Amino acid sequence: MGPTFRPFDILSLGGWIILALALVSSIAVAVWPVSKVEGLEYWTFSKNHGLLYQQLSVDYNAKAEAEGREPLNVFVIEFAALTRRTLSGFWSGTPVADLVEVERRTMPGFVKGPLKDVGFVDLTDRLHSEELTPGVSIYDSINAPSFGPWTSRGRIFGMPHDVHPVMLVYRADIVEAAGIDVNDIETWDDFERIMGPLQTDLDGDGTIDRWLLDNWYINTDNLESLILQAGGGTFDIDDKLLVDSDANAMVLARMVSWCIGDSRISVDAPNFSASGNQLKIEGNVVAAVMPDWLAGVWQRDLPQLSGKVKLMPLPAWERGGRRTTVQGGTMLGIPKSTLEGSAKGSPERFEAAWDVAKHLYLSRELAEEIFTSNCIISPVKAFWGEDFYKTPSPYFMNQQIGTAYLGLAPDVPFRSSNTYHTFALIRIAQAMAELYSQAVAEGIDTLPGLEERARKLLAIEADLVRDEMSHNVFLQRDKLKEEKAASERLEGATR
Amino acid sequence: MSTATPSPEPAMLPDPNSKRRRGGRYSWWAPYVFIGPFVILFLVFTVYPLLYSVIMAMQYNDGPKSAAFVGLTNFKRVLSDPVFWRAMKNTFLFAAASIFIKLPCSLGLALLLNREDIRARGFWRLIFFSPVLVGLAFVAVLFSLIFEKNTGLLNVMLESGTQWLNGYLPFIGVWDIEFPWLQEWVLTAIIIASFWMYVGFNMVYFLAALQSVSKELLEAAEVDGAGPWHRFLNVTVPAILPVGMFVVLLSFLGSMQLFELPYLLLGPGGGPQGRGLTVVMYLYENGFNAGNLGYASAVGWILAVILFGFAMVQKFLAGKDDI
Repeated sequence: MGPTFRPFDILSLGGWIILALALVSSIAVAVWPVSKVEGLEYWTFSKNHGLLYQQLSVDYNAKAEAEGREPLNVFVIEFAALTRRTLSGFWSGTPVADLVEVERRTMPGFVKGPLKDVGFVDLTDRLHSEELTPGVSIYDSINAPSFGPWTSRGRIFGMPHDVHPVMLVYRADIVEAAGIDVNDIETWDDFERIMGPLQTDLDGDGTIDRWLLDNWYINTDNLESLILQAGGGTFDIDDKLLVDSDANAMVLARMVSWCIGDSRISVDAPNFSASGNQLKIEGNVVAAVMPDWLAGVWQRDLPQLSGKVKLMPLPAWERGGRRTTVQGGTMLGIPKSTLEGSAKGSPERFEAAWDVAKHLYLSRELAEEIFTSNCIISPVKAFWGEDFYKTPSPYFMNQQIGTAYLGLAPDVPFRSSNTYHTFALIRIAQAMAELYSQAVAEGIDTLPGLEERARKLLAIEADLVRDEMSHNVFLQRDKLKEEKAASERLEGATR
Repeated sequence: MSTATPSPEPAMLPDPNSKRRRGGRYSWWAPYVFIGPFVILFLVFTVYPLLYSVIMAMQYNDGPKSAAFVGLTNFKRVLSDPVFWRAMKNTFLFAAASIFIKLPCSLGLALLLNREDIRARGFWRLIFFSPVLVGLAFVAVLFSLIFEKNTGLLNVMLESGTQWLNGYLPFIGVWDIEFPWLQEWVLTAIIIASFWMYVGFNMVYFLAALQSVSKELLEAAEVDGAGPWHRFLNVTVPAILPVGMFVVLLSFLGSMQLFELPYLLLGPGGGPQGRGLTVVMYLYENGFNAGNLGYASAVGWILAVILFGFAMVQKFLAGKDDI
């Protein structure tokens, strides 16, 4: 008789149980049905955008089904998660959507490295070659400054969603009761002088508690908007570093002067915060910098101010100067994995995604929806004459805010998408924080004194940015190549 | 006649050379099968990334697809970057506050809640321990509201309190309702938030250690005339010292890895002038926002060396057997 098989001689009872559990769970994972998205995937970080696109995709999907094309699925993903997942997808090849919305602040991270490594499809040629209306290319149909943040080294990687011009919102009930005519305000100097009497002690405790402007030295969004308005910024259109420009120094000095001593006119009343909202509601803030999207936010978050506020063009830095600036922004990009290099990617899929991009971003319906629900004006110039922009807004005391923002849209300044933009902006913000600290510690309270110190601090920060860029091996290689090519051209010409 | 007690049978230890062990129930490969999954995961997710990060620390990345070998340049740059040293200073200050402020308070709480004459000790222990059960993200949101200017709980309470005091003692000034906790007192704010969260957590370690203090020794010391302070210093402290050293090590390592709380409270840059920037935030910013994973790897290795060095120093100071 041969040996008998005794399973418990191989493994103990516990061993068999573990093995059985491992097998059962592996099989379960293998056969468990995973919900698969049929059709095109669209990621957005904005709940409002998501709701609009879901409405608009109904028509698109009905048409797509009739024509045998792929339907559209819109997903709202939290901002940081969307950015991280998209970047991870570009870096390591994990799946990403067919269409992705990107916010302005994160764009420099997406265009890092050589152009060939950028994860979004270069749309430049398409935008120039395809027409929106007969004889007018898509590129020419869109407000030119809106392409700035999505352009890197001359190539455009997304379709702009907005323009985001900026105005000044003010408490009309307070201002008009004081007999102030805002038409007399052309510059920030005028603003300080004419609005000055409104800055008062409301509760009689001897300290001022109504301030002219919602702004503070740590407000990086306002800092960027105001330096752009003054002609400064991080990089110009040719990628020349502007960190230590005169315009930046002037704005830093002015913004700090607004926060200290006798020249103080600012209060820190941040948006999206309980304390900020309370200060606005209680009349502790007379005016605030307001991009078009923020007008929509106020309508939702601060209904108590309905019928009490109005908009006016932003005061300029000098007479005849720019009366607006820009803040925020979104684009729609198509990842390269939609076109090639992934299991799902194909030219046909890319064409379908491109159709969706045009259907959503270039549609009159979307333009109307994003304006009526969020006060955001479309970058498509063909719609700027539409009636919905002329509708009076009860919240803003029946002003035609669409028309008001549109009037300023062509003047919004250029914004850089240089890969060092964010780094440079952080350095400018650090210079302003340092300027504030030094001004408080050393009692510097005159504008010339602040400006001189701002220049010194910005020069230090500009050196830091240059130093950071000098360590970029690829940037240096490109520079060397350019220099070599230039010297060869020169040599050829000399011969 | 003596009755011989039968000697117990020798223990039935398996013979390592027996066939039964090699091919039967104790198959030679069984241990490998059991540790296999762990070893595979450990190699793939710990050892490989660790070794690869050494290579990456010697590369310049402009996004992970573009890498170029730069030797030890990243290490040199990290060590000469003032922002890194600011982050290091902040992190060490936080660690010092954790060790020299939080831990003594934890010990004090533990001593208090170890007393048998305290009513509802279990309830109070739960109360002090409970903040650690709250998620860090929630704590960050909570404290961002508490530290707000104008409407934040802390400023409002301090203003009301000083106003009341000012009525009786006019030389005491009234607290500024606009006091900028999260702009100029950033590190203090983080220390306060962290104190609230972890003081009860460390208390539990000390409470456990206090259970092992010999009551006989304490009573003997009392009989010998030792007062409460001398009993604490000469009996309690030596008994809880090993646990104390362990808690110090844990606190230091945790402080050096501080990330979520300042990141959520202050944002990526650590507030104005990087006043709340920590080393791990600096690493994260460079690696995942700036896209230079090589530089971030170098920061990671420098941090690892510092942590290892501290652990060794502490091991040396505490004696070999204590940890």
